[in-house]
Amino acid sequence: MSGRQWSGNTFGNGWMHRGLVSVLRHVDVSVLYAFSAVFIVPFCLLFWREGRRSSYSFFRKRLGYGRLKSARMTYSNHLKFAEIVIDRFAMYAGRTFGMEVEGLEHFNALAAGKEGFLHLSSHIGNYEMAGYTLVSEDKVINAVVFSGEKESVMKSRGDMFSRTNIRMIGIREDMGHLFEIDNALAEGNIVSFPSDRYMPGSRMLRCRVFGAEASFPQGPFSVATMRGLEALAVNVMKAGRKKYVIYVTPLHYDRTLSRRQQMQHLLEAYAAELEKRVLQYPDQWFNFFDFWK
Amino acid sequence: MEELVNELKKYLIEALNLEEMTPDDIDSDAPLFGEGLGLDSIDALELIVILDKNYGIKLSSPAEGKNIFRSIRTIAAYVAEHRTR
Repeated sequence: MSGRQWSGNTFGNGWMHRGLVSVLRHVDVSVLYAFSAVFIVPFCLLFWREGRRSSYSFFRKRLGYGRLKSARMTYSNHLKFAEIVIDRFAMYAGRTFGMEVEGLEHFNALAAGKEGFLHLSSHIGNYEMAGYTLVSEDKVINAVVFSGEKESVMKSRGDMFSRTNIRMIGIREDMGHLFEIDNALAEGNIVSFPSDRYMPGSRMLRCRVFGAEASFPQGPFSVATMRGLEALAVNVMKAGRKKYVIYVTPLHYDRTLSRRQQMQHLLEAYAAELEKRVLQYPDQWFNFFDFWK
Repeated sequence: MEELVNELKKYLIEALNLEEMTPDDIDSDAPLFGEGLGLDSIDALELIVILDKNYGIKLSSPAEGKNIFRSIRTIAAYVAEHRTR
């Protein structure tokens, strides 16, 4: 776990993940929430220094909270993260959650067209929960995912998404994912990108978010403007114990500008939406590293 | 062929925002990735789109791309042979 970069995969090994899915077939999520609140989260706060520090710093410096409130929110942030991981495995176990969509008309309008388009997601809330709800009959959703994710998580995702028209595109060394992304968009389908996590060594864009400049990956913004495609910000926020709200917001950019300016425009629209949702759900910011370094 | 090489360089400069460069600054035979121009994977996607939009060429596999995207000259040779417009 480096200071700048989170490895981005789910904690635990294969048998733990399979065990969690089995438990969640018989036990309500509330039981595991309570267990996490009492045992897991205090343990993480005690021993996961980077997570604790980045979370506290986010509330203190970026949101301007006082010391006590920042400490309380740091606990709440870790607990919420535990809950969304539990919810994700509960979904793999076949449990359902109440889902509400705000801005569904934007998705439906693009889904009814011939052109491909992009979902730009973020590491806030629980994007994966959109899997069953935000679907199109005609377009396949291709989710670009980190290939370093645990095999058991990828298998559970694969099993779950095999019942929908969602496919996963893993980022690979041989650039095969680029061909899959391009083919998907050229065929008029949807490609979903996590767009807030910059990997060192790759091209980046800079933008002010929560009052300071941060680096964002150029890839998603480049792909959108390359073909002048429409892009939607899709954020799925936990709004209650068993309820999620999916926020679908169109991101506009001026296609008459130079490519660099188009990318910057699109990034600024994306960052503004990111800020808006995090201010609405401050404990659902899950970039546990120094985002502003 | 040289005309096509220059045209490709112009598309590349525009797509990759290499605004400070001119076609003459790009060595037609230099490797595009790694030590040469230092392009990365997203840039490879830009090249795929350039070939599709401007020459009607659709590449479908990484192996194919790896051979074609060695240098501007190898791209030009492939375009000359496979372009549909």
